[in-house]
Amino acid sequence: MKTLITFFCCFIFVTVSNSQERYLTKNGAITFYSKMPIEDIKADNNQVLSIIDASSGKMAISILMKSFMFKKALMQEHFNENYVESDKFPKATFKGNILNFDAIKQAAIKTQVKGVLTIHGISKEMTIGANFKKTKETIQVNGDFFIEMDDFDIEIPAVVAKKIATKIKVSFNFNHKPYKK
Amino acid sequence: MKIKKIIIGILVLGIIGAFIVYKTYNKPHVNVAAASADISLTADEILNDFSSNENSANSKYLEKIIEVKGVVFEINIEKEKGIITLKTNDDFGSVLCHLSDEATKKVNLLKEGQAVIVKGICTGFLMDVILLKCEFVSQ
Repeated sequence: MKTLITFFCCFIFVTVSNSQERYLTKNGAITFYSKMPIEDIKADNNQVLSIIDASSGKMAISILMKSFMFKKALMQEHFNENYVESDKFPKATFKGNILNFDAIKQAAIKTQVKGVLTIHGISKEMTIGANFKKTKETIQVNGDFFIEMDDFDIEIPAVVAKKIATKIKVSFNFNHKPYKK
Repeated sequence: MKIKKIIIGILVLGIIGAFIVYKTYNKPHVNVAAASADISLTADEILNDFSSNENSANSKYLEKIIEVKGVVFEINIEKEKGIITLKTNDDFGSVLCHLSDEATKKVNLLKEGQAVIVKGICTGFLMDVILLKCEFVSQ
C-alpha cells in the first residue's frame, strides 16, 4: 500500500513538474514581406500561439490566417479570399523539434527547428534556423526564413504576378512565458 | 465634330474608370468604431460555440464585428497595444481582445474584475477566441 501511495505521489509530482515546463505565448509576432520593384507588401500577425515543451524540446505553433493585417484592405481581401483561401484553411501550423535544445541557455544561440509547416492545407517538412535564448521566466525565439508559394500551391493570377514575389520572407519573434493556470 | 464628341466621351469614361480603380485599390479597412456590431453575445457563449464546433463557429463569426460582454481577467500591454483577457467558465480558453490604438489609451482606467462590453473583428480560435481592433462599447 505504501509503495502504491509513493508511486502515485511520484506520478503526480512528475505530471505537475511537467506541466510547469511548458512555455507559451499567445501574442507571438509573424511578419511576411514580398519585395518587388513595383511594390513592397507586408503583413503582420501579432496573435500567434506558440508552445514549447521544455522537457522534450518540442515546439508547436498555430497561426490564424485572418489575423494577418495588411496596409491596404484590398490586399488583405485578396490574400484571404484568393491566395490562401482562409475560409477553407483558416490556420497555418508548425510542429517540430528544437535541435540542441539542452544547449539553450541565457546567452542567445543559433540553432534549428526541424518540423512540418502546414499552410493552405499543404504540409512540408522544413528545417528553420532561429535564435534561442532561455531564462527561468522566458524562452525567446526569433529569426527569419523564406517560403516558396509554389510549395504550398498558392497561385497568383498573372495580372498581379509582377507585384508579388514568389519567394516570401517570413520573420518571427516569440517571447514564451511559463504556462500556469 | 462627331469625332470630337467621341474622344470626349472616351476621355470621360477613362477618367471615371481610373477613379473607380483608384478607389477600390485604396479601399479603407473596416472602421470598427463607426460600424455597428453584427452579433452581440457574452464571452461564455462565443467560447462555447467555438469549443463545441469550430467549423460552424468559423462560418458564423469570422471577419464579423462581434460585440462581447464579459469580465476582465487580465490586462496586458504588448508592443504599446492593449490586450484584454475576458473571463469564461472554461478552464483553458478565454476571449482575447486586442485593442485598437484609441482603446489602448483608455486601458489604464480599466481594472481586473470589471465588467466590460467590447466590439472587434473576430479572426478565429486558437486556445482562445481572438478579436482584433477592439473598441470599448461600455467600460
